Amino acid sequence: MEYNKEKREIKLDKVLSNLDKFVLDFVRILKEHINYVIVSGYVSILLGRSRSTEDIDLLIPTIKKEEFEKIWKKIHENGFECMNTSNHVEAFEMLKEHAIRFFKKGIPTPNIEYKTIKTDLDKYSYENRIKVILNNKELFISPIELQIAYKLFLASDKIDEELQPDKDIEDARHLYKMFKEKINKEEFLIFINKLNVKKRLILLE
Amino acid sequence: MKASEVKVDLDELKKFKNQNARERLEFIDFWVNYIKTHSDREWSEQQNVLIDSQVT
Repeated sequence: MEYNKEKREIKLDKVLSNLDKFVLDFVRILKEHINYVIVSGYVSILLGRSRSTEDIDLLIPTIKKEEFEKIWKKIHENGFECMNTSNHVEAFEMLKEHAIRFFKKGIPTPNIEYKTIKTDLDKYSYENRIKVILNNKELFISPIELQIAYKLFLASDKIDEELQPDKDIEDARHLYKMFKEKINKEEFLIFINKLNVKKRLILLE
Repeated sequence: MKASEVKVDLDELKKFKNQNARERLEFIDFWVNYIKTHSDREWSEQQNVLIDSQVT
């Protein structure tokens, strides 16, 4: 695995898992129409974490109803269905409030949690996304610095009282240990402070 | 033994939970070292045993 931080690019030559194939299959449809960024658990898994997941979090910009309809059709033509509704107008309205989930017809897991960009953190992830060249295919993921800080934030509040198994802390530690020589320390600490997780830094070392 | 006869020492269980959390963090470090010292294809084959057992 090679991380070129100047180019914001990671090169991976791995044997694809069924989860990787599922994600690549979905983003192949999207990329013809719209840009996206993958955030949260699958980022850690793609970059080596030894666990699986039932959902892949994907952020997309807000788009017009007509554009969404085109994407909706393509997604369905390629064998996916939406868990929340079979109607694209309803799905479009739902996206204003919450995520919608897509999975391969008849197979609810894994699924894509498809969300529109709403917060500044979402926007930052999208605007500063990293390209992952996975064999000869491309994926776009959230910046590592934000991923680590956000995973520390997601961990259970009980972690501040006593150490206990927590997948988010483990994801954060995995990414930190993988990339600590290459991450932008200044940006990392900005997110650590903004997310108020400074006291959790000890869990990374 | 009946369920009613089982004695539970919550302090002891908390220690086990804490120990388990530490061991899991130590495994993260071990696994990261494995990734850094093996080719992508080698570590991903190992990783896929786990992932593909859950995602078909």
